[in-house]
Amino acid sequence: MRCFNPLPVIRADLRRNLLLVWVTVMLVALSVASGIAVISQERALRQGSARAADDFDVLVGAPGSGTQLVLSTVYLQAQAIPLLDGNVLLQASAAKGVSYAAPIAFGDNWQGHPIIGTIADFASRGGTLAPAQGRVFQKRGEAVVGAAVPLAVGAVFSPSHGTQRAPDGEAGHADAAHAGLTYTVVGRLPARNTIWDKAILVPVEDIWFVHGLSGSRAGEATRHIGPPWPGSALPGVPAIAIKPDSVSSAYQLRGQFRSTRSLALFPAEVLNDLYLTLGNIRDVMSVLVITTQLLVVAAVLMALLVGFLARRRQFAVLRAIGASRFYVFSVVWIEVLLLIVGGAVVGCLLGWFGSNVLSYWVQSQVGFAMPVRLGASEAMLVAALLVLGAIVATLPAWLVFRRPIAEGLVSG
Amino acid sequence: MSARGELRVQDLSVRFAGQEHFLFSVASLEIAAGSSLGISGISGAGKTTLFHCLAGIAKPNTGAICWDGTDICSLRDDALGRWRHQNLGLVFQDFHLIDGLSALDNVLLPACFDSWRPAPAVRERACELLDAVGVATGERMAAMLSRGERQRVALARALLLQPGIVMTDEPTASLDPEHRRQIGDLLIELVRSQGATLIVISHEHELLARLDRRMSLRDGQLQLGTDQV
Repeated sequence: MRCFNPLPVIRADLRRNLLLVWVTVMLVALSVASGIAVISQERALRQGSARAADDFDVLVGAPGSGTQLVLSTVYLQAQAIPLLDGNVLLQASAAKGVSYAAPIAFGDNWQGHPIIGTIADFASRGGTLAPAQGRVFQKRGEAVVGAAVPLAVGAVFSPSHGTQRAPDGEAGHADAAHAGLTYTVVGRLPARNTIWDKAILVPVEDIWFVHGLSGSRAGEATRHIGPPWPGSALPGVPAIAIKPDSVSSAYQLRGQFRSTRSLALFPAEVLNDLYLTLGNIRDVMSVLVITTQLLVVAAVLMALLVGFLARRRQFAVLRAIGASRFYVFSVVWIEVLLLIVGGAVVGCLLGWFGSNVLSYWVQSQVGFAMPVRLGASEAMLVAALLVLGAIVATLPAWLVFRRPIAEGLVSG
Repeated sequence: MSARGELRVQDLSVRFAGQEHFLFSVASLEIAAGSSLGISGISGAGKTTLFHCLAGIAKPNTGAICWDGTDICSLRDDALGRWRHQNLGLVFQDFHLIDGLSALDNVLLPACFDSWRPAPAVRERACELLDAVGVATGERMAAMLSRGERQRVALARALLLQPGIVMTDEPTASLDPEHRRQIGDLLIELVRSQGATLIVISHEHELLARLDRRMSLRDGQLQLGTDQV
């Protein structure tokens, strides 16, 4: 076969049909971008939500919905969940195989930032998470804040009742604020890219006290925080996060606290169910994306076919003045492929940018980071489109290839 | 330069599909290398079809068309394309330049059919041809050229690879009288200067009169002389 250079003709054609080029490239780009956004968002949501649950090996709550328990504790979604008997916390703290059993008590906020009553071990994740500034709370009235809380170390603040920020007009309302109680910020945790970056951690005893749950413990609790708790009874808590010392302990503890009095679960179990649903949604979306891509390819093909048929005289002239059939085939095939490759490149950029914007918005809604990374699935999607485009491009190229020269020369 | 472009046509006939009668037939035709022939005829006589047959663009129903001893009717499509590329320069009534290319790139286009980049000598020849046809700035886009200029560029394109045969189909029909004369002059001068055979299909008696031989397609036969059109 003769060596040849179809680029001058391709360049001229693309230059002369700029509108068709732009419309084609943008159609392909939007199709690719939507596909990439769906796939990358599903993955980001899965990874982000799984990472947010890393700090919660075994969750114990009052009998009820496991999903509700996970949403309320792991993702701090404001939902009223029943209190767990305080004795379960005592049992969990003393149970074999437990590194720490942290109460998760919510109900207060500071300017919309949830205040969580817990223990120092949870704040430091059993000593594995050092504060970025200051230290973890050591006594009543101290607080350690998440990375996204706008309170400096040393700042003093008063909690408000409720899990949501009070409307501006009610900011100082007596019912909303816990009059007389203040916390001093003694430390700031490093960023974890979860909703817990917005949380303020305080001794659980303060939460019990401010909600009138301390009962006879009020006096001694002013000096002592955290386990082992003196006495034989504790107030109720919404949930307990147990850190087991091994995987086998985790399974034992989950079994031990699954009873008529309490519900124990691995957050991963609940997430798996959610991921299954998410996976189904992704499958449906994938079908839609593929259908859209097929439609786009068909539309592009039709538009290009009309364009090429309108230029059949040009191709006939090229062949008449000495171009081989393969030359005109290459001109048409490469032109179509260039448009599809161009659309795929623009679509990847649009998809990546759009997915990041979407992640940023979702992150502001759900609190956990949704890192966008383009992976093998997106590459497969683009590769499939390119292969399909390369195959589809042969149709107009073949039509031009087959057309008799004389017929093309006399056509309008 | 050895003369190329000797034509021998034998028992040529063309009939459109589904039609009983031949459009035309040519019992015998010979053209010496380096000479020129003008073919005229009324509309619908089959001039363009004959042009296509002689250029290897369409195949006749019967007969042989031998250029320099090669029967182009027996060539396969790819070989025919190669033959056209190496031996034939074509000029059309409607120029058929590519608007998105400059005048120079249009002239250089045939060189892209068998190489990635035209050799410097070919580039130089393209510039010389543009000079010769009077298109000074080859960088101008084809779409910006006047009709006369477009036909000059088309003529330069046809001559780029120094073909042994130059065939034109109504080369001056879409030009004004002044440009007709200029293009006719250029065509005859340039083709003669490179010793190529020239076949002109035209209604223009003034142009035809300057060629070595004149024939006309009349009543389905190629006959000596021209029609009064």
